[in-house]
Amino acid sequence: MNDMFTCGDHDALVSYLYDECDPQQRRAISAHVAICAACASEVAALTATREQLALWSPPDALLGFKIVSEEPAARSNVLRPPRWWRQPLPAWAQAAAAVLIFGTGMTLGALRNVAVRGPEGSAPLSSSALQVAAVASSATPATIKDLAALEQRLRGEMSQIRAVSAPGRQSATSAQTVPNGPVGATDAQVFARVRQMIDDSEQRQQRELALRTAALVRDFDAQRNDDIARIERTIGQMDGTTGAEVAQQRQVLNYLMRVSQRGQ
Amino acid sequence: MTLTDDELVARSISGDAESFNQLILRWERPIYALAYRVIGREEDARDVCQETFLRAFRGLPGFKGQAKFSSWLYRIALNLCRDWIRRQRRAPVMQMPEGVDPGELVADRGPVESIEELVSRRQLSGVVEEAMALLPEEQRTAIILKEYHGMTFQEIADMQGCPLSTVKTRLYQGLTVLRRYLEKNGQMSPQLVKRS
Repeated sequence: MNDMFTCGDHDALVSYLYDECDPQQRRAISAHVAICAACASEVAALTATREQLALWSPPDALLGFKIVSEEPAARSNVLRPPRWWRQPLPAWAQAAAAVLIFGTGMTLGALRNVAVRGPEGSAPLSSSALQVAAVASSATPATIKDLAALEQRLRGEMSQIRAVSAPGRQSATSAQTVPNGPVGATDAQVFARVRQMIDDSEQRQQRELALRTAALVRDFDAQRNDDIARIERTIGQMDGTTGAEVAQQRQVLNYLMRVSQRGQ
Repeated sequence: MTLTDDELVARSISGDAESFNQLILRWERPIYALAYRVIGREEDARDVCQETFLRAFRGLPGFKGQAKFSSWLYRIALNLCRDWIRRQRRAPVMQMPEGVDPGELVADRGPVESIEELVSRRQLSGVVEEAMALLPEEQRTAIILKEYHGMTFQEIADMQGCPLSTVKTRLYQGLTVLRRYLEKNGQMSPQLVKRS
């Protein structure tokens, strides 16, 4: 750039205006502006325009942009078929699953029934009676022992009777057997005693069962009464809280009314 | 310790997103201001600003440091602004500032008062903005980069892809148009200017 300035050189004036010229050129322009009214006016006008431009500021904007990890977004944006375990099962598979579950339940139920079945030969307990049967089952082993003892005793008596009724020894023992009557009558007595013992055993079982059932019903009733009492207590507390809130709101309303009336 | 742009860029390239967020924090206001002054609409300027940083983030691996990071950002933002202006398919000189209803202006217009004069009367503070909207895009951008972002003639020439002398011409022509507009709208006194 030469150190001469030609009047009307706008590019040079702009360089001078923005102070982006070398010192020599700046001196030359300054000297020219000092003696040229038109160039002086031009520089002054452009300087004033620049001052006006400084008034322009953009409106405040909420920015705060941030780069966030793309990975989760990318994953969510990608359209992939769902995994096989997330896909809905076909109807046949659902039906098969239902049958399987039902069968498993039935098997388990049957196994439980076997477990609570009474002595061999007795009728199986229904599922609704499981609880009662479980409680009563403690009496079952004693009955089996009784029966075993009874059987043992009966066998002993029968063997005695056979021995008494044997030939050659009948006369010797007739005196002993008379009080007991004939052999047929003795068997009837034995059967009667057996029946009596079985009846006694059944009665004991029934009594035990009745006692256990009564205890169970009593416990159930006690628990039920306790639950009802607790629920009633809770409801009462809620009522009390709500009532307190209502009373508080009423107080606030009354206060507001008084204040508004005073203002009027 | 405050890291330089180059250091933050290097960290960002190595995968540190937080460093890039620091760059955003540092440059989002200037980029938004540039976009707003070029396209004149707040919402769109914000979109341009956001898109600028997104493109910059995606283009980081290709940024070799041959220019300043800020210059690179400005170039991206200006390209986006140009795209926006092209999409608008209308002359920016006819664009009204946000919040001004042209229909209302016409209804209030007096017999000797031009629309431009009415705008300047009602929105005195926005008169510069209106004046800038009158300029062609190249002149407006050159003035914005020079006045508000302090770029040198050479930087503007690089940014606009034109010779240095073209930048000076654009600046002079733009300032002259603005001066006339401001004088016309009473923002500058012609007599005072002449006297000084």
